[in-house]
Parts: sequence; structure tokens; C-alpha cells
Amino acid sequence: MPLLELLNIKKSFGDNEVLKDISLKVESGEVVSILGPSGSGKTTFLRCATMLESIDSGIISYDGTCAYEITEEKRYKADAENMKKARETYGLVFQNFNLFPHFDALKNVAHAPEHVKNVSKEEAKKEALSLLEKVGLKGKENLYPYQLSGGQQQRVAIARALAMHPKILFFDEPTSALDPEITAGILSILKELASEHMTMVIVTHEIDFARKVSDRVVFMDEGLIVEEGAPEDVIDNPSNERTRSFLNKLK
Amino acid sequence: MKNNDLTSKTFRFVIAIVFLVAILVVIQINYFHSDKDKKQASKRTTFTVGFDAAFPPYGYKDESGEYVGFDLDLAQEVADRNGWKLVKQPIDWDSKDMELKTGSIDCIWNGFTINGRENNYTWSKAYVDNSQVIVVKSDSGIEKKADLKGKNVMVQTDSSALEAFTGEDADEENKALCKTFAELQQVSDYNNAFLNLESGSADALCMDIGVASYEVEHRGDDYKILDERISSELYGIGFKLGNTGLRDEVQETLDKMKNDGTFEKIAEKWELSDFVCLGKPGTDEAYKKDKDEKKTSESGMFDTVKELAKGMLSSLLIFVFTLIFSMPLGLLVMAARRSKFIILSTIAKVYISILRGTPLMLQLLVVFFGPYYIFGMSVSSSYRFYAVIIGFSLNYAAYFAEIFRAGFDSIPAGQTEAAFILGYTKTQTFWKILFPQMVKRVIPPVTNEIITLVKDTSLAFALAYTEMFTLAKQIAAAQASILPLFAAGLFYYIFNFIVAFVMSRVEKSIKYNIM
Repeated sequence: MPLLELLNIKKSFGDNEVLKDISLKVESGEVVSILGPSGSGKTTFLRCATMLESIDSGIISYDGTCAYEITEEKRYKADAENMKKARETYGLVFQNFNLFPHFDALKNVAHAPEHVKNVSKEEAKKEALSLLEKVGLKGKENLYPYQLSGGQQQRVAIARALAMHPKILFFDEPTSALDPEITAGILSILKELASEHMTMVIVTHEIDFARKVSDRVVFMDEGLIVEEGAPEDVIDNPSNERTRSFLNKLK
Repeated sequence: MKNNDLTSKTFRFVIAIVFLVAILVVIQINYFHSDKDKKQASKRTTFTVGFDAAFPPYGYKDESGEYVGFDLDLAQEVADRNGWKLVKQPIDWDSKDMELKTGSIDCIWNGFTINGRENNYTWSKAYVDNSQVIVVKSDSGIEKKADLKGKNVMVQTDSSALEAFTGEDADEENKALCKTFAELQQVSDYNNAFLNLESGSADALCMDIGVASYEVEHRGDDYKILDERISSELYGIGFKLGNTGLRDEVQETLDKMKNDGTFEKIAEKWELSDFVCLGKPGTDEAYKKDKDEKKTSESGMFDTVKELAKGMLSSLLIFVFTLIFSMPLGLLVMAARRSKFIILSTIAKVYISILRGTPLMLQLLVVFFGPYYIFGMSVSSSYRFYAVIIGFSLNYAAYFAEIFRAGFDSIPAGQTEAAFILGYTKTQTFWKILFPQMVKRVIPPVTNEIITLVKDTSLAFALAYTEMFTLAKQIAAAQASILPLFAAGLFYYIFNFIVAFVMSRVEKSIKYNIM
């Protein structure tokens, strides 16, 4: 059973049909990168998958729990309990991190487990400290987001997401706000997570990054998936014309 | 940051010094009376008469918006005969001495009682004999003075009626009578007094007989004047002490008008024939006095400050209660305003629009008198304080609601999205994520609003609630000095200085920066 199953997702903003008909299955332990030029719909796809955006039609299900099934025949939305179960399956690291500016690094990580999952205060703090150490921020626990660099903020954001123990973790453009040196650091964190069998879906337009980190690459253009497969096939030997032209522009 | 602190401290110090110097300058000007206006009457081209525009039939605004009245007609005739242009200057009764002293008016001609003020002005001959009478509702059951025991009695600020009860020259009988009242309240004008009487928050009004008969006649059978009187008194024209030149010119013209019958004709027009007394024996003692020395009634700055401190407590109460109620109410209005339910958000929009778009003073009057005029409920005098708090809280809630809304709207949508992904409930997202960030963002505009509130507390005078500024005006009127007003200004400044200091501390105590 796939961990994430998205079927025939469609989404329009007014007359603008952003997602035309997209389906994606992600198995447990897989690392999938979604590539594509800007305007291809990959960010909207990510926002629909994480339910930040409603879908017009399609099926979203996480770990066997169906959250939405909207077709011409029926409109199903999971009840509160199942919806909670589905949403607990995933986490998201935002492109601009969206850390809580009024919490220090430690509280950013520990607050949600304590208040959403009812973990005890000491327990939440203990785990937050170990997660911050894991992402290389030992000693920065009591700094506020404005006192941290972009790369450090991203690490806090990753620790914050991991603290909720998601089975699948989404990344929205993880390298766009960072310079190349720091990108290498993020890459090693993602590799470490992958080695621990964390399932990840990464939206990016950096081909190199996608090649290094992912098991599978999905290439999107104009609201459709035009090609998918192993990175060496899609990136180094693309069969689709649009994939080729996109890759050529970047070379 | 340190450097910043230093500049702001220096800046405040400079401001405080400037403020003190300004006070000293005003005191000096106050004491150096210039004599230049003593003998300038011959070169006069205008004649400015100060009057209370709500004092019929002597001087008031009629339906067409013109200032008319017995006194103004007389003044017009006097000006015409001397070739002067008459300027009718409505004044705030509490400020009449200031107006006269600074020369912005030439005289007070407005049913102005001589008794008790003989030494404070240069007087014309008395032209109206007036008495202080008691006005009650016809069905009130009050028939004589003794029935006023335990009742709320209302008089105009610094009026003859007030003087008759509490002044230095008040007779013992009136003083004793006054002690039987539940309360002797002061109100700034007669319209307001009748509103209080009609709505039941006052049981009796004391005022001049001329005003009383006019008001009772025009307001119908609901009111009556008691037969027993409080005192009898004379009206004259008050000029600045020592300004005998202008006084003589005006008096001469008046005498001529008396002789050729014009005076009587004007009196008849205003149905005051029974009251006029110009030239009658025994009525021109004040005119004959012509004293130049001033009877000083100015008490020390210390006493003034002590008096004001009492009013400060009232102002402080308004301030504290308004803050306690208006902020949560503002949050509620803001929540309604941001609501997805169109009805709710429309109600909030209209509420904000009206409360911000109309004067606070009007809102206070509506809150106080509304229950009577809309629902026919009689309002008690103790409702006065509650009305002030309710009016202020409703008004400030509208402003706070908009400040809070701007604060919330300025928080990036990503904060709500991050909270959603982490599984926070909507309530948790509001209180734990958004609210603290909103607070940080709105501290500067909220500080502005709080400082405005400190000063706005003075508007409570509209409901005859005696807070500090009302008290300062009353003391200023009693002492014929501007000093109490400046002392009040100093109080407000210190108050706001503390507010600004506390708020800057609060702002600094919030350690994070907004990204």
C-alpha cells in the first residue's frame, strides 16, 4: 500500500487551470523530487497535497486513510477523526520556513508536540534538544528566529517538522533561499533522513540537487506530469520534448 | 540602543523644560495687567459682547440659527447709537473671566448677576431684577423648599444659583437648605439641565426667574416654578475691572434709551417688563462703587494642585475602566469584523463606522439620555459614572478593533499555514501563534490611542461628571485665573509621560523581532 496516493487531482484558480489531471503514488521510504519550470503547477500540487489548498476534484489518501474523494458522482471528505489521522501522516518544510518569530528555536520545535500531541513538557523539550542537535544547532536553542541565518532557520524548520513524527515529509523549494555552500549542508541532512527511511517529497527546480537526493524524479509542465522515473533516466536521458527543452535551458 | 535611550531621555527633558517655561511666561502675562484698554473707547469701531449662547431670553440661538435675545437687542441698540459694529461672541461660561481679561470680549452682557461679584468687575447700573427660583416637574410632588430634602438639585456651573447655595456670601438659610439635598450637581448649560430634569436624573433645577419663566412657558405644562424663592438679585453689564471709559459710554447710551422709551419697548418684546429695573432706586450700588482695587481670591498653587488631585482620581477611574473594557470589546468587534458571516462582519463594520464617525461627546450624551428618550426609563444620577464608562468603552473599542485588525492582517499568511500543518486547532492558532505577534505589532498605535484616552477623559464633563479638567475650569472660574488650567495640563502631561514610559517598557520586554 502506498504511503501517499494522489489520483486525478484537478485545480483551477478562476479560469486558470493549474492542475489538469495529476496522479502520484509514493511508497514508504521513497524520496521523490518534483521538477519543472516555474508556472508548471508544482507548488500548487504541493499545497493541494498538504491540504493548504482545496482541490476541485480527485482523491487524496495518506497511509490508507482517504481524506478527500471528489468525483462527478460523489463528494467525500473524511470526518474529523480520519482527517486528523491523515494529516498527522505528513509534515512540511516551507520555502521561507515560517518559523514562529515569538518563540525561540527550542520552543519552535517543542511547542507543537506539547500542545497538539499532548506530550509532556519535559519530554517535548528533551526531544526538541536532540532534534536540534541532529540538524547541527546545538547551543542555538535559545536564539530567536531573527537571530539565526537562513540556513539555520531552515534547520529549525526541519527539526520542527520532525518533532511531530510524520511518516512523509514535504519540502517546498528547500534550496531556493540558500547559497550553494549551505545547500550542501541541507543535502547531507536530507541524505541522512533518507538513510533512516524517511519518505520525502521535494519540490525543486535544481536538477543537480534532485539527482543527488532522489530515488525517483517527476517532471511537471503546464499542470501535467510529463515524465517520471529514475533520475538518471529522466535527467540524463529524457524522452519527452518538454523535459529536454527545460533541461537544456538550465545547462 | 543605549544611544537611542539617551537621546529620548534628553528629548523628554527638553520638552519638560519648554513646558515649564511656557507656564511661567503665562503666569507673568497673567500678572502684568496692561492698562492700554482703559481709555480707548473713543477710538472704538467694534463692540464685542460675550454671552452664553444657551441663556434665553437674554442671549441664545433661535431656530434660524441667529443669536438673539433681550441683552443682544440692547447691545445692538447701544452699538448702533455709538456707530460701533456689534460682535456677538458666544463664550464658554467657565472661561468668561479669561475672555474679558485678554480683551477678546469688551463686556459680559448676558443676564449677568451683580450680587457677589460687585468687586470683580466694573459694573453698569442694574437693569434687571432677577430672583433665583426652583423649577420642578409638575407631577413631581415637590411644592416647597422643604420638599427638596434628599433630592438631586442641579445648577449651572458658576451661576448665581450655585453662588446662592455655596458661595461665600450665601445666607445661612440657603446653606442649610443645600445640606438637605442628596446632591447639588453642576451642569454647563440649561438645555443639559432640562434634559437631566426630564430624564429624572435631577429632581429640581435652580435658576434665574427670567430664564425659568421663559423655559417653562416654552416647554409646556410639564414644569412649574415653585412660589418660594431662593434669593433675589440684580443683573448688570460686566466690564473688565477698571474699564470705566467704555462702561460710562455704554451706560450713557442706555440711560438715553431709557428716557426715550426704547429700553421699555425692547423689554416688552422679550416679555421682561416685570423684571426690568434700570434707574429704580437702590439698584445702582455696584455702579457707584467704581473700585479699582481687585479683591484677590487667588489661592496658592498648592491648594489648586490639591483640589485637582481629587479630580485626577475621577479621570484615572475613567481611564482604567475604559481600558479594561474597551480592549477585550475591541478584540470581539475585530473578530466579528473578520468573520466569514456577512451579517456579523457588516454589523461590526457599521458599528466601527458610526463610533469612529461621530463625536465622542455626542455618544456620551446618547448613552446617558438614550435610555430615557428611547425606552422611557428614568435614569438615576449614579448612572452618570456608568454612562461615562460605557460611552468611552464603546468608542475606544471601535478604534482598538481597527488597530487589532490591522495588526492581524499584517501577520504573514505563512504563520497560519505553518500552524495548520503542525495540527494546531483554530483556537490554538489564534491565541498561541497569532495573538502574541499581533500584540507586538500594535503596541505603537495602541500607545497613541491610550495617550489620547488620557486627554479624552476631560470629555466626561458633557455628562456633568466632574473629572480633573472640569474641576480645573471651575477653579479657574472661581479664582479668575488661568493657572489651574495649566496645572491641569501639567497633570495630563505627567500622566501621559508615565503611560509612554510604561508602554516603551512593555515594548522592550517583548524580546523577539518581527521578520
